[in-house]
Amino acid sequence: MCYLIVGNCAAGINAVEGIRKLDTNSKITVISDENSPVYCRSLITDYVAGTRKKEDILYREKDFYEKNKVDLILGETVKGIDVSKKEVILQKGNSLSYNKLLIASGASSKPLRIKGEEKYGVFGFRTLHDAEEIIKTGEKTGKAVVFGGGLIGLKAAYALKKRGLDVLVIVKSSRLLSRTVNAEAAGILGNWFKENGISIRTGIGPQEFSGNGEIEEVLLDNGEKISVKLVIVGKGVMPNISLVKDSPVKTHWGIITDEFLQTNVEGVFAAGDVAETTDMVTGTGAVNALWTAACEQGRIAGMNMVRKDKKYPGSIGANSADFFGLPFMSVGYAGEIKEGYEELTGSNNPKEYSYKRIVLKGNRLVGFTTINKIENAGVYTALIRNKADISSIRDILPEDYFDYPKVKDLLKGKEGFRESISPQGEIIRIA
Amino acid sequence: MIACAVEQSSTGELFKAISETPLPVSLIEVTTAKEGESFPLQCRHCEEPYCIDACIAGAIRKDPETGLVLSDEEKCVGCWMCVMTCPFGVIRVSLLPDKKGKIAVKCDLCQDRKIPACVEACYTGALLFGEVEDLIRAVNKSKEDRDVLLNSR
Repeated sequence: MCYLIVGNCAAGINAVEGIRKLDTNSKITVISDENSPVYCRSLITDYVAGTRKKEDILYREKDFYEKNKVDLILGETVKGIDVSKKEVILQKGNSLSYNKLLIASGASSKPLRIKGEEKYGVFGFRTLHDAEEIIKTGEKTGKAVVFGGGLIGLKAAYALKKRGLDVLVIVKSSRLLSRTVNAEAAGILGNWFKENGISIRTGIGPQEFSGNGEIEEVLLDNGEKISVKLVIVGKGVMPNISLVKDSPVKTHWGIITDEFLQTNVEGVFAAGDVAETTDMVTGTGAVNALWTAACEQGRIAGMNMVRKDKKYPGSIGANSADFFGLPFMSVGYAGEIKEGYEELTGSNNPKEYSYKRIVLKGNRLVGFTTINKIENAGVYTALIRNKADISSIRDILPEDYFDYPKVKDLLKGKEGFRESISPQGEIIRIA
Repeated sequence: MIACAVEQSSTGELFKAISETPLPVSLIEVTTAKEGESFPLQCRHCEEPYCIDACIAGAIRKDPETGLVLSDEEKCVGCWMCVMTCPFGVIRVSLLPDKKGKIAVKCDLCQDRKIPACVEACYTGALLFGEVEDLIRAVNKSKEDRDVLLNSR
């Protein structure tokens, strides 16, 4: 048996571990177009902020590949796959054969598609390479402009401010996080950013970047011009699906997967930011491009590559971050209230940056946002994941004393709920 | 809870622990399920822990030998992903000693001790410590029989 994994990040690495749980001997090859051993992509925020050094953002120890008997091929791009020959074709023209294939090729920063975007000084906020270029450019200038008011844009803005730069965030929509949370929560977070010295302007977009090789000026769509040498584009990501373009592997938002994370082609699996899975809240196909989802998908896909019997329960849009000491979380559907939805709020104090909001659809919890009040948030996530009927605990849901014991009977024994006991025994409660 | 917080403290003594900065955090909490039914809440050391998938820093790992889910506090960046996904809500927030930020902390089942501090302190025998098979056999036994079975006190 020969396993081939395209991608050396969250999904790829967890797939290696998944395979090795069940198959300790077969050959595993991991191929990546990046040049570094696996690092925590999400920690480039901390690297740019200066709170983590480059050597401190590695995801696994340096001997991970050796220990797991992995042939690692770095700096090589996969151009396509030939499923009839069971081969992947590399950019250089040579090919690699496989018995089981995992496509974990990830995603790339979405471009703005405007003139001058290729100029030096305009960066995405995703790879270690991006981070190194941003740090280098940041040293030569005291100012940066971030386009995008989603979480990527906000993380970039936070990191650059921490680094000591003047930061201006420019958002095309009328407010921050317009696709993640409601206006009230976005307003609270926006105020916190402003209090920490970050300028935010809304309703404006970029039109053109100019400069001689390096960016010098941004022209905005309201006619205004801003001199700047460092621009971050935080407009979200798009799955790297070009490698399956000429193959029978089906794509929609991403590479379509079944409940075992297999694509429509037998023996070809997909996981991570490239994979489209069923969203647990909407019940429809979605690419939830998140580190957490990628790890879980990678591990399950890896196990299924060995023995196809582990169902993936579906993904959930869930994000958490800490900005200048203020924790922020948003899980599931946490946008404005639509028909058929309702919200519950606890004792919120927006002025103190303390906020909790729960979104219900009928008797199901479908999403929540918390700012500052994060303890026990995972219990809400579990209720969402389990599609639990919350009618009996509705009134206490947003309260600060709400915790797991209040819902233990709603969660116990539900499919997908992973409560269990360690092999070495643990403290249990004798009823 | 007190025994756990003292265990987490740097002095390991109650009266010194209460004046430590930051104040040590208890990793077990006794709360209520419903009125009159108390419930001790602590890390389950899950077989497939959500917190490990969630940990963007790779700080939380499962010890392959003991099965314990352990967090390398040096690696934690305080992103709260683990708090967001733990279905039991047992990962806590602690200030760093230099007060320059916060990290996530979790129960390590007192791996440096023979018996976890909470179990040792629980005089009603509600908390027991031992191998799963022994614990299952210990249920419904008298306290004395349990102690023999689990060899824990």
